[in-house]
Amino acid sequence: MPTIDDFIRPKEWVSDFATNLGKVLRRWGEEKYVPIRQQVDEDWKEHKLIEPLMKEILVDLGINAAFFPAEAGGTDMSDPMALTSIICEELARIDSGFAVACICSIWGLVPILLKPHRNMGLCIEFGEKFCGDELYVGCHAMTEPASGSDVENFGRMKGRTIDTTATLDGDGWIINGHKIWCTNSGKIGDIYVVVCTTKKGSTDPNDFALILVPADTEGVSVGNSYHKCGMSADMNTDVWFDHVRVPKRYRLHGPGDDLKYWRRAISMGNVGSAAMCIGIMKNVYEIIKKWTTERVVVDKALKEHSIVADMLSEVAILIESTSAWLWTYTREMDHPEIYGWDPWDERFLLKTRGLALFANNNVERACSRAMDFMGSYGYAREFDIEKHWRDQKVIGIWMGGKGLKTLENARYWYDIKTL
Amino acid sequence: MAALYPSNEWCEEWKKAINNSERCAEKGKNWGADFNGNWVFELTPSGGLTKTTYVYLGAKDGKCTDARLLNDPSEADAGFYAVGPYEEYKKVVKGEKDFIEGMVRGIFKLRGDMSKIMRNAQFIRAVADSISAFEAEYLGE
Repeated sequence: MPTIDDFIRPKEWVSDFATNLGKVLRRWGEEKYVPIRQQVDEDWKEHKLIEPLMKEILVDLGINAAFFPAEAGGTDMSDPMALTSIICEELARIDSGFAVACICSIWGLVPILLKPHRNMGLCIEFGEKFCGDELYVGCHAMTEPASGSDVENFGRMKGRTIDTTATLDGDGWIINGHKIWCTNSGKIGDIYVVVCTTKKGSTDPNDFALILVPADTEGVSVGNSYHKCGMSADMNTDVWFDHVRVPKRYRLHGPGDDLKYWRRAISMGNVGSAAMCIGIMKNVYEIIKKWTTERVVVDKALKEHSIVADMLSEVAILIESTSAWLWTYTREMDHPEIYGWDPWDERFLLKTRGLALFANNNVERACSRAMDFMGSYGYAREFDIEKHWRDQKVIGIWMGGKGLKTLENARYWYDIKTL
Repeated sequence: MAALYPSNEWCEEWKKAINNSERCAEKGKNWGADFNGNWVFELTPSGGLTKTTYVYLGAKDGKCTDARLLNDPSEADAGFYAVGPYEEYKKVVKGEKDFIEGMVRGIFKLRGDMSKIMRNAQFIRAVADSISAFEAEYLGE
């Protein structure tokens, strides 16, 4: 009988190594995470359970070091999007909040980590911590109270709403501003990659800046963990930067290039989000498959009833179609030499919004339909459908929400000029 | 005199190089601590090699415990088994190709715990780099 491993993942595009890494993560998840998954869901405030689990993934299984160059002590893995997709999918199958917490540790560092735009100086300086024996967690501080997803809507807003400022003062930057909703903020994050502007209100791409700020720098303060509907393993808080001074070299690249390579991180975020949606859907598939096989109604298994088979068929189609799209874009990102555009190309970013939107809609549908057919068991905590149902909603809203995803996807395909 | 890769003489040189390498000792101090850190490399015919050849590398705590050719992989107890064309292995030995990248890209097929590779990438690279400490000659060249 088919399993979750029979959904589309082109074998000629994904090496055995990457596939087996996924299996390692799955085995780890089954042994270490699933037995306490519901307890983890209650750990949103303190992360007493979550932090040691993050250490196991990021340090002991080497995910933090995966993309750091060898010279910086990293594993220097090739095909970063394929590996990211596998990591996101496998961890989200267990808990999408945990998946985002882990992958976001290095997400903000994409502009300095990946070839061909590596900042070797910063990689070596921070590789010591990210590739060391202790847990060291990154946080991409992007969203702001006033502008929300406008920060990400660079194509139209062009950074004019970014309120967090970076002012050059001698050999250092002075950062002032307020960020919210950042994954791994609060007591979790050890270093922030802060989206700033060097000139408030500017629409000049050269004024967009990405600057590293260690969390223990004077002037950095954080609020309490938000209590959300889901994604408990992803700690989000306010972060304030009050005359925070960091060395000038902590700007990831410089005028123009910060924005250019940040686009690659955003595209990877879109594709990674889709992979998380697939991870959730695969677990939903496993749960409903078991449920509709074991539960007997009117002398036959639930799945033998045509109305239930209709739902089961739809969930399988949602996974299969999302997987096909995901792996095609994953391939495009890792092999620009075939597809003819760079992974940081703005057009590719716009296209990946479509994938993220499609995956968001599909996972929402899959969770909802599964819950409908499981009835009260669907919304009972013991069966985990309701957990995925709560968690997936957050994926649909982050990174600009469905509105920005819709607009940017339409902008790409129809060359819309004003939206 | 340069040792032929693959041969028992070459394996012996490799063992010495690893055991003389401070980098291997430092980066591999945890290698094999609670798992089988031994390797078998299966070299499939290509690039001048006409018969499948097996290279065994015993590794623990940053040291090489044994290195030799095997007649059959079942002669050794190894936690890691890598298969690839001799032509590609030659590139690793010459320092032209990164072994880990080769595994990630599927040029070398690996059986073994990926997480140990991920966690100990610096040791794996140090072991591969140690080969440059001695001269080698190759089949088909």
